[in-house]
Amino acid sequence: MTHRLIGKPIRRNEDARLLTGRALFVDDVQVEGMLHVAFLRSQHAHARLKDVDLTAARRRPGVVGVYGAADLGDYGRPGPLLVPPPPIAGLVFNPCTQVPLAKDKVRHVGEPIAMVVAESRYVAEDALEDITVDTEPLPAVVDLEAALVSGAPLVHDHLPSNVAAHVVQRKGDYERARAQAHAVITRRFRYDRGASAAIENRAVAARWDSRAEELTVWDTTQAPIPIRNGLARLFGLLETQVRVVAPFVGGGFGPKIMMFYPEEVLVPWAALKLGRPVKWTEDRQENFSATTQERGQLHDAEIAVSGDGRILGVRDVFLHDTGAYDPYGLTVPINSQCTLLGPYDIPSYYSEFTAIFTNKTIVTPVRGAGRQHGVFVIERLLDFAARELGLDRVEIRRRNLLRPEQFPHNHEIIFQDSAPLVYDSGNYEPALDEALRIIDYKGFVRDEQPRLRAAGRHVGIGVVCYVEGTGIGPYEGARVTVEPSGRVRVATGVGTQGQGHFTVFAQIVAEVLGVDVEQVHVITGDTREFHWGTGTFASRGAVVAGSACHAAALAVREKVLELASRHLEAAREDLELAGGRVRVRGAPDSAIPLGELALQANPLRGAVRPGTEPGLEATAYFGPDRGSTANGVHALLVEVDPETALVEIKRYVVVHDCGRVINPMLVDGQIHGGVAHGIGNAFYEQLVYDTGGQLLNASFMDYLLPTATDVPHIETAHRETPSPLNPVGAKGVGEAGAIPTGAAFAQAVEDALADHGVEITEIPLSPNRLFELLAQAEQART
Amino acid sequence: MIVQGTFTFAGPRATVWELLQNPDVLVKALPGAKRLVRAGEDRYEGLMQVGVGPVTAAEFAVTVSLRDKVPPERYTMEVDSKGTLGFTRGGARVELEALADAVTLMRYTAELQVGGKIASVGQRLLDQVAKLMTRQALDALNNELRARLAGGGSP
Repeated sequence: MTHRLIGKPIRRNEDARLLTGRALFVDDVQVEGMLHVAFLRSQHAHARLKDVDLTAARRRPGVVGVYGAADLGDYGRPGPLLVPPPPIAGLVFNPCTQVPLAKDKVRHVGEPIAMVVAESRYVAEDALEDITVDTEPLPAVVDLEAALVSGAPLVHDHLPSNVAAHVVQRKGDYERARAQAHAVITRRFRYDRGASAAIENRAVAARWDSRAEELTVWDTTQAPIPIRNGLARLFGLLETQVRVVAPFVGGGFGPKIMMFYPEEVLVPWAALKLGRPVKWTEDRQENFSATTQERGQLHDAEIAVSGDGRILGVRDVFLHDTGAYDPYGLTVPINSQCTLLGPYDIPSYYSEFTAIFTNKTIVTPVRGAGRQHGVFVIERLLDFAARELGLDRVEIRRRNLLRPEQFPHNHEIIFQDSAPLVYDSGNYEPALDEALRIIDYKGFVRDEQPRLRAAGRHVGIGVVCYVEGTGIGPYEGARVTVEPSGRVRVATGVGTQGQGHFTVFAQIVAEVLGVDVEQVHVITGDTREFHWGTGTFASRGAVVAGSACHAAALAVREKVLELASRHLEAAREDLELAGGRVRVRGAPDSAIPLGELALQANPLRGAVRPGTEPGLEATAYFGPDRGSTANGVHALLVEVDPETALVEIKRYVVVHDCGRVINPMLVDGQIHGGVAHGIGNAFYEQLVYDTGGQLLNASFMDYLLPTATDVPHIETAHRETPSPLNPVGAKGVGEAGAIPTGAAFAQAVEDALADHGVEITEIPLSPNRLFELLAQAEQART
Repeated sequence: MIVQGTFTFAGPRATVWELLQNPDVLVKALPGAKRLVRAGEDRYEGLMQVGVGPVTAAEFAVTVSLRDKVPPERYTMEVDSKGTLGFTRGGARVELEALADAVTLMRYTAELQVGGKIASVGQRLLDQVAKLMTRQALDALNNELRARLAGGGSP
């Protein structure tokens, strides 16, 4: 089937609004009489709250309300468990979710203690200084291993230890594989991640309309429908009485999924209580401690290989830092556990993790959501195994890749969506070959690298493979309507944070209905426009919501054809939809515009036939049985200056297979952004906590984001192995760029420093850290 | 955060000791100190205004308790300060050694836990600011000492 619009680099429908500053963001919301909020946050990582005195703050002119935990009553209950753990035998999970305002104890720096509502943010911030908090500081739980020592301070006093969860998943018999192995390589790996650092911080505005009895909440959420449902439940309102609008959002990356953050439930509460509109916009300082993050894991891993480099089995035991609470369940560590298997045929696997409460900001998915940790471990193990066996590192990967005939491939363990980890489709070796060809692996290793090394330069190459579980259920929906103007409206429940939904969904619908992409008006993230859905996360927007758009468009197309065949007195098989019209093949004069049909479908006189519906409109839903598995290869060239430990990325190649590509330009954009995130993770970004649980680099002066000068030109190539799990054949791509970057970077830097004997088992690196590793290697040699 | 060092006072140990226990002198010597009063036996309370790099100066309520006093040789301090921009908690050990009749060597080691905005945003300047403030305070004390010894009292 040839496509007119699918697969074309169509310009984005939304850009005119964004580039001319007409797009609405939450902070743009201005309502007459609006009040502003500031939060008093804990300075301590761990402390008992003895007294919170709000009297002086309440007396300050311009202050409308000041609230502590005691003022919330029943509303101060712990928030919902957002993602229940999957059904894994023997799984231990201790759910501890946060309360809106801390009551007896604070468990991380930045945890809200009190809320001030005032006529302006200035007054609200000033009033924070009127509040006195009497605390009894407690020793903080910071280090993962120390957290498990008997007698360690407890983050949650009602639990016997700091263990948030313990999970074991097994495939095959690792011990037997180990006994038969030619070599077993064992290492300890540290993989730390950072803040999501979206350009727009979180923001919430709320208004209670007492005449309409409707609560409107503007929220930078990725999942407006779950937030709507939750708020309705909390306030005892009908779901239709709560409208949550996620307008344009300047980057989601995970921490804006349906978190039910304290601020997210308190701002609407204040609007209801005070009967006035209320707004809060997070500042960057707050973002560093109050918006969820990803952080470290500590892996003790080993790989058992045969003499010819076949993987016989992998064993991995790791600790995962979940922060002070675990509202998002086990998604992040289970992603690490599952993604470790990568594109490889691994017959036996033992994976055990312990998630640990610490006195740090809550950990929830950030672009990649734990997948990079798993990729780092397996890719580094393969590098060390190749060295041990005297094999080329590309060759050891090639020998272990799953072959096309092995799909669908069941890995026999449970994924984050509670379904078995089954890869739907894939063709891995050609992707590897394409990456090698683009970066000229052979030529580099054979000629270029020796030549440059002889000239005293330290250049290295990295090549790593990965898979990414994407496009998970449960479902999304869409409503497609042809208006009398001939324009088409598409409404779906997911939120949008810059992905290009207004274009991708429009392309899918325009393809089916034979209209121009610009004629399709997409609405996302407004619960009044579409009632059902889940949200934007897990690289699922195009896959799941896109498939729902496709199904709804097909249903509208059926209505169009039915009506047009009567109008044009032609058989349905002879009709085609093109140029915004239905026409009879071979009879160009016999045609009717879609808008005209839409008018006819909604007559003012006469009768709508029994058994039919008025209008050219349809709603459809799509829910995949399980996620689709995207894959790819990252290859890069680096040059390292061993004296300054600075690393320059010379080339960066991404070969990616996300099934059917709907818009290659947008896929490129997703990959570029992801790689930038990945480079930040590899060499720049790290949240540095001291032993007291204080974040020491909570500003962009000290928390280094990669800038335009640090991110190289990224060369991309697309491969298309369609997914059999959805009608579009699409797989997700939103997180792909960020997932293997750390592993690729480590391999390339290690290769560049081969003569120094540096071994890299941790990410992020930094010039400082790399300098230390160089010094250690130097010491070990002398 | 650890702040440690030595300082040589141009005066006899007993006079240095006396100055170090005198809140009226200390309030003038400590940069940003607005108030320091005796709030009990070996216990002082005060108000300081301190800024660190990008964190604009803000007020901190300070409590200092003296312990293990062995006049005029050594004592330890427990320091607790808090304000809207952060807190510090910790202890310091101060030793005085008479090198000569009018030369006193001070050794000091302070170990402080710093939290809040001054830690999270001011981190990279914190050490320098702490060292600078210590140095300024000690210089000011030394000047006061010289003035007293010269018979002029407080300058």
